Amino acid sequence: MPNLNINGHNMSVEAANDTPLLWVIREQLQMTGTKFGCGAGLCGACTVHINGEAVRSCQMAVSDAVGKKITTIEGLSAKGDHPLQKAWIAEQVPQCGYCQSGQIMQAASLLAKNSDPTKEEVVAHMDGNLCRCMTYSRIQKAILRAASEMRTASNGGTERRAT
Amino acid sequence: MNTHVKITSDGVERESVDLSRRSFLVGTAAAGLALGYSTVPGLLGVDPAFAATAKFDPSVWYSIAPNGIVTVTCGKADMGQHIASTMAQIIAEELGSSWKDMRIQLASNDPKFNDPVLGAQITGGSWSTMMNYDAMSRAGAAGRIALTEAAAASMGVPASELAVKDSVISHSKSKKSMTFAEIVKSGKATKTFTPDELKAIKLKTADQYTMIGVSVPQLDIPSKTNGTAKYGIDVMLPGMVYGKVVMPPVRYGATVKSVDDSAAKKVPGFIKAVTVDDKTATTTGWVVAVANTYTNAKKAAAALKVTYDGGPNAKLSSESLLTEARRLQGLDDSGLFFVKNGDTAAAFGTAAKVIEAEYTTNINIHAPMEPMNATAQQQGDIWHIYTGNQFATRSGAIAAGAAGVDPKFVVMHQMYLGGGFGRRLDGDMTVPAVQASKAVGKPVKVIYSREDDMTMDFSRPLTFQKIKAGVDGDGKVIALNHDVVSAWPTKRWGIPDFLTPSVDKKGGLDGFTVNGADFFYTVPNHNVRAILNEMAQQATPSGQLRSVAPGWTFWAVESMVDELAHAAGKDPAQYRIDMLDGTGANAGGAQRLRNTLLAAMGMSGYGTRQLPKGEGMGVACVSSQERATASWTACVAHVAVADSGEVKVKKLTVATDVGTQVHPDNIHAQVEGAALWGLSLALYEKATLKDGGIEQTNFDTYTPLRMSQVPEVAISVIANGDRATGVGEPAVTVIAPALANAIFNACGARVRSLPITAEAVKGAMKA
Repeated sequence: MPNLNINGHNMSVEAANDTPLLWVIREQLQMTGTKFGCGAGLCGACTVHINGEAVRSCQMAVSDAVGKKITTIEGLSAKGDHPLQKAWIAEQVPQCGYCQSGQIMQAASLLAKNSDPTKEEVVAHMDGNLCRCMTYSRIQKAILRAASEMRTASNGGTERRAT
Repeated sequence: MNTHVKITSDGVERESVDLSRRSFLVGTAAAGLALGYSTVPGLLGVDPAFAATAKFDPSVWYSIAPNGIVTVTCGKADMGQHIASTMAQIIAEELGSSWKDMRIQLASNDPKFNDPVLGAQITGGSWSTMMNYDAMSRAGAAGRIALTEAAAASMGVPASELAVKDSVISHSKSKKSMTFAEIVKSGKATKTFTPDELKAIKLKTADQYTMIGVSVPQLDIPSKTNGTAKYGIDVMLPGMVYGKVVMPPVRYGATVKSVDDSAAKKVPGFIKAVTVDDKTATTTGWVVAVANTYTNAKKAAAALKVTYDGGPNAKLSSESLLTEARRLQGLDDSGLFFVKNGDTAAAFGTAAKVIEAEYTTNINIHAPMEPMNATAQQQGDIWHIYTGNQFATRSGAIAAGAAGVDPKFVVMHQMYLGGGFGRRLDGDMTVPAVQASKAVGKPVKVIYSREDDMTMDFSRPLTFQKIKAGVDGDGKVIALNHDVVSAWPTKRWGIPDFLTPSVDKKGGLDGFTVNGADFFYTVPNHNVRAILNEMAQQATPSGQLRSVAPGWTFWAVESMVDELAHAAGKDPAQYRIDMLDGTGANAGGAQRLRNTLLAAMGMSGYGTRQLPKGEGMGVACVSSQERATASWTACVAHVAVADSGEVKVKKLTVATDVGTQVHPDNIHAQVEGAALWGLSLALYEKATLKDGGIEQTNFDTYTPLRMSQVPEVAISVIANGDRATGVGEPAVTVIAPALANAIFNACGARVRSLPITAEAVKGAMKA
């Protein structure tokens, strides 16, 4: 009976050790924001964070997630107001929306490390996430917008301190 | 024109549509339906007050709760085109409600939510906005009139002196006002409308619009950024178990000889192996492994030993289908005429030159990001099906066939679609869910693996087209014979109304395999033959893939027109403009198409500068979807071709005339998505049949466009003020020919098969 730390909560789940983390999250914990797309790590719809790194949850056995900090789209922000989520709404990114949880989680792992990515860095980081509606250009714009707003927020703080 | 789309000269026929309160039409299923759509778990944006008794229902399409929240029920599948939001926007325009008060929910398959023009619940063809615009406008206006009359009575002032804005009705002289909420609470808004009264309502004119034409925030988008939007795959029912299908190695026609579940029985949680007995013939040779979790169902499925009779298609390949297509095209008596104008045989006799070419497209797979799935539950006499579907009317009937009940006992609970693109017009996913649920006596959710989804797609068929064109001494086309050989996806539906009578009344043909071939160019002698490839029909049951026939017919037509222009030594864009002279039945449409071409040329700088060696621009223009429902779309593609034949797309410039824009930002998003779909189909997506099965099983071998492959896309949307047309599909169809024409201009290589590969380009360079 693995114990998982997910979105800040400790949860005990009933699953064989080799069960993909994706299905534990979706079926047992009924957190369905993380999506099944290909089951082979080729599309990125199932992306979650493991200790802050973007990971394909369809490729990770639940036993390998024990003792690590798991974050899903439901836990990315308290009220769905992560700068990326706000930017996704501002740029009206989603069409069908199915891949977007994975896109946002993949993007969040980039901005956590790189607050000022170039367009090329965005593309390189996001190329493993398929969007069949082809919302790619809006995804790019939203990531750059969120990065900019995150920088402004932190710079703003600095400026206030300086004056 | 397809017979089921009733069009008058000025647009979509305004059929008598009863928007007044109507009783349920489905007899004993009424109770289930009444409960159905309001109890779908997790439906977004449904206000709790919706269930309150004092709400006001001006039409079946929306309700106003005592707190003023307006909940629109959308009978269309919402698959990324934000159609529910669009319906709400059209209603809000006439109703006078504030956008912040609008909510959306998705309809069940109750026939009262049928499309007012099509008479069924079907989402496709880029038809939804066009065909629902009038009905939603009148529904909104009816609500405004009823609320205004109730407010007038309450305030003791004449209704004619009241103004409606942002969910408030006000009387400027007395400074009195009432909110929609207050009026609904008063219980005085009870007016209903007969169909004639609805028809008589004077709607706003475009200059009075305050909502249509505004890019309001889409109502479904917030839920798609925080994981709360509910798709079919997210449905959870108490006591539910899971099904994983074991698919046969052959796409269609296999039968199960034996199932050995001895190893599967050792899988913890395994419940049963169910061999699907599909009386609807939608599927063949499927076995469902049922278990307590999806992971265990998958393990059990892998442990089942199933033996098959491969059936009649087990040896067929893409090559067999193409060979058969060529054979059929060569026969004089093949197929049925979709177009027969003038006398092509005589005209060819007088032609100065005759040019022939063959164009092919390979099999394409829809591959929406949400794999097919359905959840089935029997409660009493009623079967509840939870899935995202584009054709609830037909899919409900398929589910009923699988259950062995009359369709009136099936309630389809519509969910968000994690991509549709035509794939979810089919109802195959309901069959294993229903039969597994029946066999184990519990609700069952069946989820296709990506491999199941790809190998059992109702694919865009392999197509073969031959065009023979005769030109006069000036290079002008005087005769054109166009043969289109393919599987007939719409014939498979078995609904005669969806077939198009041949022009010589010799039978019904699948218009959705030849639409587009009836183009707006002036060609005095013109034949189009639709030829059914029965071998492909059996081996690769095909479906409607985003843009359907125009995805291949314009590939052939727009490539051939370019070839003819070059043969005549004329600029391909100017050659098209000359052919778009708008004579006869082409009047109006031809000019609109010409104008989009000119717009795209202008935006791209076509012909204004010398391009570097190895680069080229190519044009194409299309009247997708059907001739009667066209959005006029042109593209200038700019490519660079390497000596290796590798094509780099530098820029796609697309101009489209949509008549009236309801939501400019959404149109932009749809046109861009469609254009990139066109690019993906043109360069990156190819499926092949071998030994009766589809060879590509996942995104490693079937490879839609990724972010790194997105070129610059420039879009110009023209709204000439005519009726609103569709935008989800047309831009798909214009890209491939524009690219091929650009490649020719860049390096002299003419490619006639999709997808375009570097090898084919390099091979054509040498030739």
